[in-house]
Amino acid sequence: MDRKRHLEWGVLSAPMVIFLLLFLGFPALVNIVYSLSSVSFQTLRAPELSGFSNYVSVLTDGDFWRAIWFSLRFGVITALAECLVGFFLAIFLAPLFEKRSWLLAIIMLPLMVAPALVGLMYRLVLHEFVGPVPHYLWAWFGSAPAFLNVANAFWTLVVVETLQWTPFAFLLFYMAHRAIPLEVREAAQMDGSTGWDMLWRIEIPLMAPTIAIALFIRFIDGFRVFDNVYVLTGSGPGGSTRSLSIYVYEAFFRQGEIGPAVAASVLLFIASFGVLFFINQGLARRAR
Amino acid sequence: MRKTILKGLAAGLMTATLPLAGAQAAVTVLGWPGGPEETALRAVVEIYNGQEGLAEEDRVEVLFFARDGFWDKLQADLAAGTQAFDLNLIATYSIGRYAPFMEPVTLADEAEAVYGESVLSTMQFEGNQYGVPTDLSLHFMYFREDLIDGLLSDPAAAETYGDISEEYLGERLEPKAPDEWTWDDYAATALYFTQAVNPDSPTRYGTVLQMQNLLFNMMVWQSTARSYGGNWMDDEGNITVDSEAYRRGLELYKMLYDAGATPADSTSYEFPEANAAFVSGQVATMLQWNGAAGELTNPETAPAVADTVAIVAPPAGDEGRSTHIHGLGLGLNQNAPNKDGALAFLQWLSTEDAALAYAANSGAPALTPEVVAAIAEDRPDLVQLGEFASQYGYVMNGATGANALSVYELQAQHFTGYWTGQETLDEALAAVASGMEELLSE
Repeated sequence: MDRKRHLEWGVLSAPMVIFLLLFLGFPALVNIVYSLSSVSFQTLRAPELSGFSNYVSVLTDGDFWRAIWFSLRFGVITALAECLVGFFLAIFLAPLFEKRSWLLAIIMLPLMVAPALVGLMYRLVLHEFVGPVPHYLWAWFGSAPAFLNVANAFWTLVVVETLQWTPFAFLLFYMAHRAIPLEVREAAQMDGSTGWDMLWRIEIPLMAPTIAIALFIRFIDGFRVFDNVYVLTGSGPGGSTRSLSIYVYEAFFRQGEIGPAVAASVLLFIASFGVLFFINQGLARRAR
Repeated sequence: MRKTILKGLAAGLMTATLPLAGAQAAVTVLGWPGGPEETALRAVVEIYNGQEGLAEEDRVEVLFFARDGFWDKLQADLAAGTQAFDLNLIATYSIGRYAPFMEPVTLADEAEAVYGESVLSTMQFEGNQYGVPTDLSLHFMYFREDLIDGLLSDPAAAETYGDISEEYLGERLEPKAPDEWTWDDYAATALYFTQAVNPDSPTRYGTVLQMQNLLFNMMVWQSTARSYGGNWMDDEGNITVDSEAYRRGLELYKMLYDAGATPADSTSYEFPEANAAFVSGQVATMLQWNGAAGELTNPETAPAVADTVAIVAPPAGDEGRSTHIHGLGLGLNQNAPNKDGALAFLQWLSTEDAALAYAANSGAPALTPEVVAAIAEDRPDLVQLGEFASQYGYVMNGATGANALSVYELQAQHFTGYWTGQETLDEALAAVASGMEELLSE
């Protein structure tokens, strides 16, 4: 019987195993080989193994650590901002959406736009001479901040990212909020819980898993940000807005340093895998 | 029954695809999307395809992908041995990188008379011709003639101009005609027309600099250093960027940026943003690619300034005037499926008739004076293009090598870092010099 079950398990899981090996295993293997090789565009098909020199080169590169620092800050701040705004929208605008559901579609619109296009759009919107924002600031106050200079670029990018992805967090929270059983609320009300008390003691604890997932997803997305940052600032000025993804891209294509670029992406993969592993462990422990 | 259905389906499919196959061109050209280059390429392809007796399999069709990251995608495609196109865009600064995936070509016999040897050489690498030079890019100094004329004819303005130049440049200067400008004259004029410096200025900014962390912006900037005698490396191959010439050029931009003579957001500006600033009427001068001439002098695209825009060569340094030049062109993919057809198109494209047609349709080919005379009335900027290229054009030592693009990238990162106060001048130059040692020795 056990043998039969093993066979069944093998047959049923074979497609998934083959899929993983082909589409994840093979590229991962190729990347690991490249990361341990001296390779250029001319020698992509015949890389020469060079040990861990690419990893040493990446780990001793100041730009790599600056990119890590940018990505970490950006990921944490945008995840917090998006979840905070999304949460309050979900809680306080919920009665409005129940009456006018078409508002939901409007609030979700930013999610429909590709991040690169969002970057292009804000390049125009924030341009001193053609952008509406600086135009009105000049008209009303006689000056406007330089949204993309070195002093403001980071926070401008944070706002742009937050404006685009808050709807995602909002959607998760809105659905989680709606999923709280009515009986729970009624029971809490019977016990005298209302307003803030209800929010802090009943709703937030019940929404906690969703909040954790939203924070995690938005952090990962913010950490690997590429499109709109690259389009808006080109990783500058002076590399001050270079995320880890942009670091990998620039090393690979712009500098032709394929080995170090792949080594950096392998390190990024290991770090992400580690974070995922610990979060998974935590969730499993919580479930038990 | 099943066989009949399958046969029917197959026949239907063949019938449906036959017209497509017949219409499909056998020579595919990957072009530079957007802007005048695309317009010109489409126009000459139409002329070429309209020739009588052209074999169906030698007809040409064009292919474009996005301009952002164009060179990166091209590199990946070529390295992968793509057969999606026969001819592809190349540029002087990228030939070295792409040459291993391309094949040298032979142009029409008249090509040298049409373009001249120096322009043909912008498409050469290690002694081989890799393409037809379709467009030449260099820099013009654009300025508002009305504003400069006003400055030159007003003694009180000259007094203010002198005070400003003394304060910012340490030397009392008098206003001059733009054709006589040194970089100091340009800087003094830019400061004079800046409201942050001179509250009576009719424009908000005296100039608009392109300071985004982008390789093309280094090409715009480096003519300042070059005109002071700067170069990437000397004849022995020693890197020479840590020089007085580079320092003066870099300091000039920083001084203008810090003084507010260019928008504070200039650190995110490149070609389109700078043009947008200039056509707003709030900027007095701009060093910009020649490719902007059409847009800036067209009343439809620049209604506020078109009638007042004039063009001269970039200002002079201690060693005269300089303008970076590079050519865009079309070359042959090593894995082209139809090499014969592709070479036939390239040969035609390098004839005088094709070059003039390209020029007449918004292109910017650098033609010899005898050839450009035929369209001088319609395209006066092409006459200036030829003059400036021959008199002031330069290519830095090493700037056609395989890693030239990477060198520009390296400079862009550190020089924009210096301009925005994230690195000192010494740090930026040292980082660029050591990076270039590595890149140019490979």
